[in-house]
Amino acid sequence: MSPYLHVRVGVDVPGWQEAIRAACTPLLTAGVVEPRYVDACIDMVRRHGPYAVLAPGIALPHARPEDGVHRVGVSVAVLSFPVEFGHPENDPVDVVIAFGSPDAEQHIDLLAALAGGLSTGLADRLRAASDATEATKLIEEVIEDV
Amino acid sequence: MSRGRAGEPLHVVTVCGVGMGSSLILRMTAEKALAELGVPARVEATDVSSAKSLRPDVILGQGMHTSEFAGAAPIVLAVSNFVDAEALKRDLEGPLRDKGWLE
Repeated sequence: MSPYLHVRVGVDVPGWQEAIRAACTPLLTAGVVEPRYVDACIDMVRRHGPYAVLAPGIALPHARPEDGVHRVGVSVAVLSFPVEFGHPENDPVDVVIAFGSPDAEQHIDLLAALAGGLSTGLADRLRAASDATEATKLIEEVIEDV
Repeated sequence: MSRGRAGEPLHVVTVCGVGMGSSLILRMTAEKALAELGVPARVEATDVSSAKSLRPDVILGQGMHTSEFAGAAPIVLAVSNFVDAEALKRDLEGPLRDKGWLE
């Protein structure tokens, strides 16, 4: 089964917790994750710091498979206004990529594809996308072989 | 030939809070950087609490995590951009040379 994918642009949120919730909500609606997964994603950042901000402007919130994940899914929220996660170098964040995986293996190809995209300017292409359809295509191009 | 402590490939550990997202992406970036440097390495992604017990040659992670690892590996390097292999290559070169793992 190919991973569930959802992309939104122009998402308005006041802060990092709402940004994580906004990115996770489509996963919740689609039944990819349980409600507790969203809280777990926020809790991870509270407990371990904003390590999910893995490059300038880009956050990759996620929690553990045992936090309630039914299949591999990724949901991208491109924010209208960047928010602070509290990361010393990579703040502020305007591309939030939430994902979930039911185990420690199934998402590896997806993340590898996303990492490849992000290392070659995917975040900037997403920021420049005029609507969700265009942004979805940009992600699909990157993960087409997954 | 560049190699780690026991003549084996370098054991490199990438860390993040969960050990399956950011650290996995950093693992891919590290594999690319080390391959381009010509340093044979085995790169493993893990969570913060498991990293110390692995006793690796190199620990890579966010500064907020690597500060917990002072002395836990011969090289402990804070990485802020997990998808920039070029920057990681530049940052790794000096420490690897200092340890004699890169000629």
